[in-house]
Amino acid sequence: MTIARKITPYMIAIVASFAAAGIFIAAMGFDVGRAYSTILGTSFRTPNGFIQTLLKFIPLTLLALAFTVPLTAGKFNIGGEGQMIMGAIAASAAGIMFAHLPFYLLLPLVILAGVIAGALWGLVPAWLLYRFGLHEILTTVLLNFVSFAVIDLVATGPWRDPAAGHPTTIPIGEGGFLPMLVSNPPLHSGLILAVVVAAGIYVYTTRTTSGYELVASGANPRAAQVYGINVKRMFVFSLVLAGALAGLAGVIEVAGVQHRLIEGMQSNFLVLGLIIGLIAKGDNLAVPFVALFIAVLEVGASAMQRTMMIPVQMVFIVEALVLLFVLLSDVVRRR
Amino acid sequence: MEQLVTFLRLVLLSMVPFVLASQGTMLGGRTGVFNVAQEGIMLVGASLGFLISYQFGNNFVGILAAMVSGAIFGLLLAYFTTTLKMNQFVIGLSLFFIGVGLSSLIPKLVIGITLSPPLIPTLPEVSIPLLSQIPILGPILFKQNGVVYFAVLLSIGLWYYLYRTQNGLELRAVGENPMAADSLGVNTVRARYLTAIIGSALIAMAGAYLPMVYTGTFTEGMVRGRGWLAIALTFFGGWSPLMILTGSLFFAGVEALAFRAQVIGLAVPYQYLLMVPYLATILIMILTFRKARVPGFLGQNYDREKRNL
Repeated sequence: MTIARKITPYMIAIVASFAAAGIFIAAMGFDVGRAYSTILGTSFRTPNGFIQTLLKFIPLTLLALAFTVPLTAGKFNIGGEGQMIMGAIAASAAGIMFAHLPFYLLLPLVILAGVIAGALWGLVPAWLLYRFGLHEILTTVLLNFVSFAVIDLVATGPWRDPAAGHPTTIPIGEGGFLPMLVSNPPLHSGLILAVVVAAGIYVYTTRTTSGYELVASGANPRAAQVYGINVKRMFVFSLVLAGALAGLAGVIEVAGVQHRLIEGMQSNFLVLGLIIGLIAKGDNLAVPFVALFIAVLEVGASAMQRTMMIPVQMVFIVEALVLLFVLLSDVVRRR
Repeated sequence: MEQLVTFLRLVLLSMVPFVLASQGTMLGGRTGVFNVAQEGIMLVGASLGFLISYQFGNNFVGILAAMVSGAIFGLLLAYFTTTLKMNQFVIGLSLFFIGVGLSSLIPKLVIGITLSPPLIPTLPEVSIPLLSQIPILGPILFKQNGVVYFAVLLSIGLWYYLYRTQNGLELRAVGENPMAADSLGVNTVRARYLTAIIGSALIAMAGAYLPMVYTGTFTEGMVRGRGWLAIALTFFGGWSPLMILTGSLFFAGVEALAFRAQVIGLAVPYQYLLMVPYLATILIMILTFRKARVPGFLGQNYDREKRNL
């Protein structure tokens, strides 16, 4: 399929949903023109807005990939939130315990700890699926709620920052900070990590044998099994890889943005990651582009709430409609 | 004794959202429509149920409005999966997202951005004459709010309908083997639409129950995973109404126990208690996975013009 044919339904979906949402926003008595120019323009008007967008883009891409990579193998990972939290916890723990280490030791340690913790948190539902056949859509999401309690436990534990009102730990050692690409406004090098990882996932799924086996397991598990692919192992692997991706998102939030663990830092990345993955129709290559689009909308929406007093959730109507139209475009094409 | 009565009353009270949401899930699943949007539908039910109750000053109207909103979700689910034959999980997750978003958007539009949300009165107790006078059992079983009775009666009614009527048998056949049901003249499409719609309405009712009993107001994410737990409970209950009712008691017991332990001030940090319902659910799933009875056609779409299975 040519790129143009792939993008056309998206363009139609976006235009149609903006038009439909515009009618709704106007009916609520808001200025549609100003609202849309704020939503779409904030990211590109000022350097600060642009960098805010990139900072949102990073975790969104990783969390969306944590959903689409297992989806490639036909598995549903709704546990990105928990895997991200566990990644953030492990990264903070490493950063606090070994705070005195120089950066060339501490930074890799922080990243590795977080990625491994995320992968392990993804391994739990993978193992439950492998060993007991428990549906991953349930186990992954239930583990999210467990992780909410764990992050609260850690953020109020011995590492708690007594000066902070909200459950927050003390900062990690400075050697664990991700180097800055631009210092003012601050943009950290997690961006490069995210882009490299997204590209890596694309290459892996389209250009390697193991990636092919992953795709085959998702497309037709029975045929793949007959062909000699260990389908169950691919399922496990896809969920562990997803955990590692989400864990990396947690690492980047700690090492790049907050420099400490904050309860609730995962905000609404899970549902946004989910909608990005769904709008991208599970296509790993499309994920970063959709993520950028959603990041623009989200940053624009918070600006809109600040300046026009339109609730930030209004942008959700646009997102939901885009999703709906994209889903429908699939049906139209099949006819 | 006093303590025990209070505790058991709480168990019965907190059983309701599990019963309603799981019976709703079960009903859809019995015709093969696997709903995974519970969490979103319950949030919408909670949000709308609260707002409408507040506007009309009547909880009953709020519950009805929530059920209508749930029915719309069910209609969408049925349309996309049964008519358009799209993947049920993809549609379910999309509806989940839409539910989460709508539930936080609507209160912002109606009430505005405020720090102190308005309150609605909680559901009143309905004492059943004579029966509520029985010592111990009376206050536990017969001095509850109306929805508790409704949930129990609904479960018994669903059991009777599914296992003791011709209609119910046909409905179960649609979920087990739609081809066979279709060839016998059962309208599979209508069965799927009806169960998805009624099921989702029940799920939304479960959501509306939360602000009306626990908090008196809507807070974001107040469903706290009960929608997902309801799916697990449906599996645990083997997609059978009476087993789901029993299972709900158990789930509610775990939740109430964790809550009581917090109130009493156990030496364990409360975060451990917060984990209990979710970990217990996973443990139960491990213990019962072998025995799980699942409708044969669960989660699949039936197309009479194609070869199925």
